[in-house]
Amino acid sequence: MDPKAVLLERATRPARPNTSPQNGAARPLPDLKANILIVDDRPDKLLALEAVLDTLGQNLVQARSGKEALRQLLKADFAVILLDVSMPSMDGFETASLIRQRPSSEHTPIIFITSIGNSENHIARGYSLGAVDYLLTPIVPEVLRAKVSVFVELHRQTELIKRQGEQLRHLEETKHQRELAVVADRLETETRRNRFFTLALDMLGIADFDGRLLQLNPSWQGILGYSESELKSVSGMDLVHPEDRPAMLEQMEALRGGNRTAQLEGRYRHKDGSYRWLFWSAAPFPAENLIYIFARDITLRKAAEAKVAHLNQELEQRLNSLTAINSELEAFNYSIAHDLRTPLRSMSGFAKALLEDESANLSSLGLEYATRIARSANYMDNLLLDMLAYSRLAGAEMVPESFELDEPVSELLGLVEKEIRDKKVSVQVSSPLGSVFAHLPTFKQIVTNLLSNSIKFLAPQRLPQVKIYTTREADFIRLWIQDNGIGIACEHHEKIFGLFQRLHDNQTYPGTGIGLALVRKGAERMGGRVGVESDVGQGSRFWVELPAVPASQDGK
Amino acid sequence: MENRILHVEDNPDDVVLTAMAFRKAGVAAKLDVATDGNKAIAALSGSVSNLPPVCVLLDIKLPSLSGLEVLAWIRKNPALKRLPVIMLTSSLIPSDINQAYDLGANSYLIKPPDLDSLIELAKTIDMYWLRANTPAVATV
Repeated sequence: MDPKAVLLERATRPARPNTSPQNGAARPLPDLKANILIVDDRPDKLLALEAVLDTLGQNLVQARSGKEALRQLLKADFAVILLDVSMPSMDGFETASLIRQRPSSEHTPIIFITSIGNSENHIARGYSLGAVDYLLTPIVPEVLRAKVSVFVELHRQTELIKRQGEQLRHLEETKHQRELAVVADRLETETRRNRFFTLALDMLGIADFDGRLLQLNPSWQGILGYSESELKSVSGMDLVHPEDRPAMLEQMEALRGGNRTAQLEGRYRHKDGSYRWLFWSAAPFPAENLIYIFARDITLRKAAEAKVAHLNQELEQRLNSLTAINSELEAFNYSIAHDLRTPLRSMSGFAKALLEDESANLSSLGLEYATRIARSANYMDNLLLDMLAYSRLAGAEMVPESFELDEPVSELLGLVEKEIRDKKVSVQVSSPLGSVFAHLPTFKQIVTNLLSNSIKFLAPQRLPQVKIYTTREADFIRLWIQDNGIGIACEHHEKIFGLFQRLHDNQTYPGTGIGLALVRKGAERMGGRVGVESDVGQGSRFWVELPAVPASQDGK
Repeated sequence: MENRILHVEDNPDDVVLTAMAFRKAGVAAKLDVATDGNKAIAALSGSVSNLPPVCVLLDIKLPSLSGLEVLAWIRKNPALKRLPVIMLTSSLIPSDINQAYDLGANSYLIKPPDLDSLIELAKTIDMYWLRANTPAVATV
């Protein structure tokens, strides 16, 4: 016989928990229908039960026998089972005990339905089989509904809790996933950091407060030669050069004291015994008693610095010795000049004595020889004096001052007045000549030389003329000394300012070859320049350019 | 009373030329010559008992004691400390010049390069130190 299960789908209105005693809570319960299993062998009773329970709005499932009930229980989960005790073949109690044996339904509430006559006996047995309640026939619809409602509500609550639990689990899972992602991220970061750590050319490490290395990157081995385990087994201080140790200890102390960063340079012993210069930067992490260390190999830089320092020192030494040589040379020049003049004095003096005191006893040839001796001695004396002047000019300290050119120029013209008159030179000075900022004695020396040149190299058959004037060249004043003498070929313009450069034999135009060299040296020492414009037969225009007195000082 | 000048000079040529120049200049004073520092001191020491020279012409570069050492000795000698000392030298070395003045030289003259100038110088010395200048007064 095939028992028929009829699933009643009469729920036309949404289930409302108005039957629930705890209802009224602000939070609405989820809209879910509970399954109610009604087991009875008599269709009329099933119909009656259904009619009563229909108003609960739940799913009502009918079973016509214990067997069918068991089958239904396999299909679905029920909020409550209404089980008729007296059924043919398998009665309610038997069915209940089978229901209880199944794990999926062992806790499903069972309400037995029994007649009043058997009630006492049945109730006791029912409870022993795990019944949660019983109903006596004839059934009072309100009681039935109320009791079923309780279990429906219970089921709903359970279901709700179950769902909430699921939701919670889902939330937990999401949270867990998120945490997992964070951890993965961190892991990734750490890995990446670790890669930087590994790849860094500089030495990176973490040490404890005693200076012992706990972690270090491969650069340490590359730079200092020790293996990682060797480095970890020694105190960092042992590798520090003894001379650098005090500074290092001081920095360590500061780090332990919480100083933010420490930086210093020091030498560290390489495994091969040599020392490497390292630049250190370290920061403490007091919470863990750790020190983060960054170190860079600066041995090459130090070597370069040392080399530069050495070169500088060498340069200074060379400069010192040069200065010494220079002053020695100056002293030498002095002594040469005046020691050489001593015999010259004798030569010229005795030649003169011969010519003056002994002329009566000398032949004309003897007189001529004596004259030549006197002249040579005189020339050599001039030469020595010029050399002396030149060397003094090259070495002397020159303190410049502001002065007007007119005064020294006319003073110097006065010194050669006799020569000017004798040679019938017409001299023209375009006053005022202006003011310069220069060393007056040196200026006089320059003008003396230029003046004496201008009245020395006279062109024959021409009335000698000398013009002295100035032109302004930006911040400089250019003093011109122009003559109409024999002039100088262009190719000699540079040469004539060199030392001992002469263009003429001593007979025609006597000179030492120092004069213009002295002029140039003097001008240069005063921050000026000299030059010449000339050509053969055209006369010469020599100029000397000196710093002009700034306008603000001009009126002084 | 004959005026005497002590000429301290080691170069025989200069001795002769200076004597010649003084003669040509018509200087009346007689030139005594000491050819090194020690001889100069000896001459001056001996002169204390007699009569000191009117002035000393003192070269700097000398054998044995230098002219500057002789000058220092003169200035420390109570009887000679006011004696006019005229440096007559070819040295233009700044330290020589300044040291001479520091030690109390009365004048610093550079030996002229030619005889004429030397004669002029002799005349000047005669005119100034032997005629115009008032010597220190000897205290007994």
